[in-house]
Amino acid sequence: MIITGFRLSRFWGFLGISLHFALSVGLLAQTAAMGVLTGKISDSSGAPVANATVTATSAETGQMRNATTGADGSYRFDQLPPGSYVLKVEAAGFKTLQILSTTVEINKTTVRDEALGTREIGEEPRATPQENLPNAPSSTTAPSLSDLGLTPEQTRGDLKEQALLDKRTHMLKIHQRMGLITTIPLVATVILGTGAGGKSEGTATRDAHVALGALTGDLYGITAWYAIRAPRIKDTPKRGPIRFHEAMAWIHGPGMILTPILGAMAFQQKNNGEKVHGIAKAHGPVAIVTAGAFGAALLSVSVKF
Amino acid sequence: MKVLIGFLLTLSAFAQTDTQWVLQQNTLTYHVSHPLHQTDGISHAAKGKGVCHANQCDFLIAVPVKSFDSGDSNRDLHMLQVTRGAEFPIVSVRTRLPESDSKSEDIKADLEIQFAGQTVRYTQVSFRLEKQGAEIHVTGTIPATLSDFKIDPPSLLTMPVKNEIPVRVDMVWHQE
Repeated sequence: MIITGFRLSRFWGFLGISLHFALSVGLLAQTAAMGVLTGKISDSSGAPVANATVTATSAETGQMRNATTGADGSYRFDQLPPGSYVLKVEAAGFKTLQILSTTVEINKTTVRDEALGTREIGEEPRATPQENLPNAPSSTTAPSLSDLGLTPEQTRGDLKEQALLDKRTHMLKIHQRMGLITTIPLVATVILGTGAGGKSEGTATRDAHVALGALTGDLYGITAWYAIRAPRIKDTPKRGPIRFHEAMAWIHGPGMILTPILGAMAFQQKNNGEKVHGIAKAHGPVAIVTAGAFGAALLSVSVKF
Repeated sequence: MKVLIGFLLTLSAFAQTDTQWVLQQNTLTYHVSHPLHQTDGISHAAKGKGVCHANQCDFLIAVPVKSFDSGDSNRDLHMLQVTRGAEFPIVSVRTRLPESDSKSEDIKADLEIQFAGQTVRYTQVSFRLEKQGAEIHVTGTIPATLSDFKIDPPSLLTMPVKNEIPVRVDMVWHQE
């Protein structure tokens, strides 16, 4: 009986060991047949995006798995069957990102770091169109921006500077258009000026010349205001044609002030029946130089925009 | 048994040996066409690294948007604005290539480019490789367009620039 009992307990012992072994092998085999998908979600500046929903959908079976990014922007899918996955990343305030091909390999950890673009107010979330490429980036060894020695300061976006740039461009666009519009009365004023002075006794041309000159001055003032008030961007030394463009402003700017003053004096003298004399005689030459500098400034940024 | 384990460890060590490529010299040039004239913006400030593992090499090239110089600070600031270069300061290019491509003279690469807040993939972009010792000289042109990155074409005198902004790539990579 003792022998029988010993044999029985040994049987259960062997059975237990066998079952344990079989289960262990099964579990090991199951573990070995799986892969891991992990990565970090960041914004365009490289800062981690927490609470983003990452969805991995198997391209073969359609099976879906969800993960939420932690405070450091990281997510992880353990025990993923190997194969191709569609990865979707959604986060409040960001554009939805969809990557059509991410390969998970047996017993390997696939790292997929992604950056989300900011969604503008009123813009609907939508997937970034991407193609399924044969050698698209998807690897555990892919270098990152920090591997290149780029600091977070270099990769972080500056929304304030972008807003400043937007404002600058907006104001300079108006400056450019107003400058073009100003050219029309400026040219007309110069043309009429040839018949407004000298021996001319008529007042109609002179009045039209004055009216157009005043209009030119007003438009010029608006044009200049938009250039002067446009924000300056720090650490951007001026180079190229813009330097000539701005240098010309030191000629046509004072010219635009001096020309009407001299013109008013000449106008007064003509109305008094006098011949234009004294400093008022400089009205014409000053106006020509001013118009010439204005035209040169316009051309300098047009031919080499 | 010890011999077998030793052999497997040695094999494993060989299988996981990585090689790296480092970008040594670079010239990236974008070309913009306007009815009034042509412009090139040049940068030499790109940084790049390639890591090869299991016969596949992953490359990353990054260049600050601000580093492109067209010879006119006003135009560069305007380009920086339209490309949202302050908000997204880095242009990055990723690609994965077979390690054997380093022995080829002509390769085709699929590029994933992040620029202006967009991620765009270009397939089968041709590059020419010239081996120079431990270095490889790579040249090619990426057929980028403004619309790919949802950039409104900047205009001058109400005339917009062309949508095509091909980027000429000239790089020297060093194997480490």
